[in-house]
Amino acid sequence: MSRAIVALALFVTGVAIPAAQDAALPNKADSLKFAIIGDSGTGASAQYKVAEQLIASRAKFQYEFVLMMGDNLYSGSGEKDYKKKFELPYKTLLDSRVKFYATLGNHDNANEKFYKPFNMNGERFYTFKPKPGVRIFSLDSNYMDKSQVDWLHKELAASGSDWKIVFFHHPLYSSGGTHGSDTKLREQLEPLFLKYGVDAVFSGHEHFYERIKPQKGIYYFVSGGAGKLREGDVGKSNMTAKAFDTGYHFMLVEVGKDVMNFQVITDQGKVADSGALPRFSDADKKKMSTLTQ
Amino acid sequence: MVRYMRHSSRSEATENSVTRISSALVMLTLVMSASTVRAQEKFENSPDARVLGDFKARVEKYEQLRKKADDSAPPLKETKDAAKIKDAQQGLAERIGAARAGVKPGEIFTPEIAGVFRRLLRPEAKQQQTKEAMKEDKPVVVSFKVNGPYPDKQPVATVPPNVLAALPQLPKDIEYRFIEKHLILRDSRANLIVDYVLNAIP
Repeated sequence: MSRAIVALALFVTGVAIPAAQDAALPNKADSLKFAIIGDSGTGASAQYKVAEQLIASRAKFQYEFVLMMGDNLYSGSGEKDYKKKFELPYKTLLDSRVKFYATLGNHDNANEKFYKPFNMNGERFYTFKPKPGVRIFSLDSNYMDKSQVDWLHKELAASGSDWKIVFFHHPLYSSGGTHGSDTKLREQLEPLFLKYGVDAVFSGHEHFYERIKPQKGIYYFVSGGAGKLREGDVGKSNMTAKAFDTGYHFMLVEVGKDVMNFQVITDQGKVADSGALPRFSDADKKKMSTLTQ
Repeated sequence: MVRYMRHSSRSEATENSVTRISSALVMLTLVMSASTVRAQEKFENSPDARVLGDFKARVEKYEQLRKKADDSAPPLKETKDAAKIKDAQQGLAERIGAARAGVKPGEIFTPEIAGVFRRLLRPEAKQQQTKEAMKEDKPVVVSFKVNGPYPDKQPVATVPPNVLAALPQLPKDIEYRFIEKHLILRDSRANLIVDYVLNAIP
């Protein structure tokens, strides 16, 4: 049994999860460090509280950028909305030149792609390579038309990166009572993810946190509670590895050569989940496609 | 080349070698050309080819009109000034609105085209998973009109990939959306309702 399969077994049973609160990422000098916020743009006190924790966490964990899982600006996209729902809560980070990379949610105006601090390059889907060995893809899951699928084919095929990380708004797997898995989107995207060896997928839309057991060798996270919360909405299913829906949260992620560490922090500064996930080889992924699902 | 670079970050552009980009582009252009041809053939060889060709021509006419509206003002570029984004959206909507003054519903979705669209949509919209996906976070819109704005504070209902695949492809920044059972043709950059089909899905 390979190392990855053993790690998967630990991951599924939860043994690999370190204790809460004390849990620390490796915080290695040469790793890629970033944060994740989802469904953040309410402008309400909860968003600001999460933002405070996000800012505080950077004192110990110097993440380079923040991925935004969509619904970046609820209920309007005027100048005041950008200010109240983005520029003010994250001012300290913006002043420190922390970059934000956004994806569009169903509450977003498509013209957010022209907002420079969202780093979307004027496009509703885009890719960037934050460091050698890691490539990140942002998709527009509101409108998965042919032009976007063709583009994704092209970019995934051209990517030789070790880690392929994809993020978009609607989760392919979710145990949420309000939304749940987007199975039609899954039918479209999952074959591509498997074909080109995507490692991890992050989504929002559901206003809670859920870590999904690896599906066909791919790690899935739902993280849509950085501004909105739907308490009691996670009906833990057999695909749930860990769920948290009693508080707001954000994520910290550290990508090393062969391992991705993550930590989920609440608006109270508590650790709701954390762990270390090995990067599966293509051969392991093939094996796991029969073990999981 | 331009398209590839536009989607990639600047730092990435410098990292990739010319050779890698060129070879990837050659391979992917071939793949994309093949799939684009297949998608076109799907509609061109269908019994609805004439009607869908008419739809395509009408959308192209709108696109030309928008291009003129675009050309009469400086292009919107990435900016950190949120007010400029809103102003550009508003300005474009006003110029398009003026150029299409007096336009009636059905300019693009003629009765014949609307009939074909209803038929194309029916099998997809009847699927349970599709129904569920389409009713998620659907907008609450009391009224809408051609040449009028899509309500800024409302969410946009997700259009499932299988529904999009059943319909002809649209140019960039023009999209299909649904408000309740009605199909909307929306200019996303101007946030404008271009035309609609009432009761497009059961």
